[in-house]
Amino acid sequence: MKVTVEQVNQEREEELIVRCHDPSEAWVEAVRETASGQRTVCGWREDTLHRVKLSEIFYFEVVDDRSFLYTQSEVFEAKEKLYEFERLCAGSALFRCSKSMVLNAEKIDYVRPSLSGRFEAVLSNGEKVVVSRKYVSDLKRMLGV
Amino acid sequence: MVYGIIMLCTFFMCLLFNPTSELPVVTFFGRIMVFTLIALLSLIVYYSKEELTVKAWWVRTVMHLLLLEAVLLPLAHSWGFWQSGTDILIYAGFILLAKALWHLVDYGLSAKTAVQINERIRKNRLDQRMRKD
Repeated sequence: MKVTVEQVNQEREEELIVRCHDPSEAWVEAVRETASGQRTVCGWREDTLHRVKLSEIFYFEVVDDRSFLYTQSEVFEAKEKLYEFERLCAGSALFRCSKSMVLNAEKIDYVRPSLSGRFEAVLSNGEKVVVSRKYVSDLKRMLGV
Repeated sequence: MVYGIIMLCTFFMCLLFNPTSELPVVTFFGRIMVFTLIALLSLIVYYSKEELTVKAWWVRTVMHLLLLEAVLLPLAHSWGFWQSGTDILIYAGFILLAKALWHLVDYGLSAKTAVQINERIRKNRLDQRMRKD
């Protein structure tokens, strides 16, 4: 498939045009959801299923073999394993930041180094999470450093 | 980095305890390579399936230091890098210093990376705000 990316100046509106054979194909839907920031994943809370927008997720963490989604102030249990969630987020601002966590780069307020060679990321809701040295290069690439 | 620090420490050790010794270059670098290999292998102490907590990291750092001292001191003695009772304290101090230096250099590099990342975050945020306005 041919992919064309054209950079436009600030005055022009950003636009995505998909030319495809079948608009109902899954990848077209994924592009639509990504572009509109509406890509969602399922999360359980108090026996109720919720659809959580990727853009609202602060981080995804696996604790004792159970997966959790954290938003600004809510926690949902997820069914996906870490690698499955990582795949789901491909192309979004979420990236693997440690052995048990996928973090939303857009929710990072700032990072600070620690003596252990890792980084502490302070999120916009005040939470602090660890970014392993191994994954710092992914964060840098994502931010355009 | 480990190699460089060990080389520096060994050089100063030789200068301090045995300034007139003429160690063949190949032997000198060979021994430093062995030291480096041991230092790198000992990093296995930090291996964990799960992300280490700050406390766990400190515990392993102390364990790592003890392991380095336990392995490197007898080896250095067998190579004649230290002889008497006071020498061992200085040599142990050098190993401690090398480890501290390694962590400090590492911290400095991390701090530099953190500055780059934070600058980029600020810039991206500013761009987003300008786009919204």
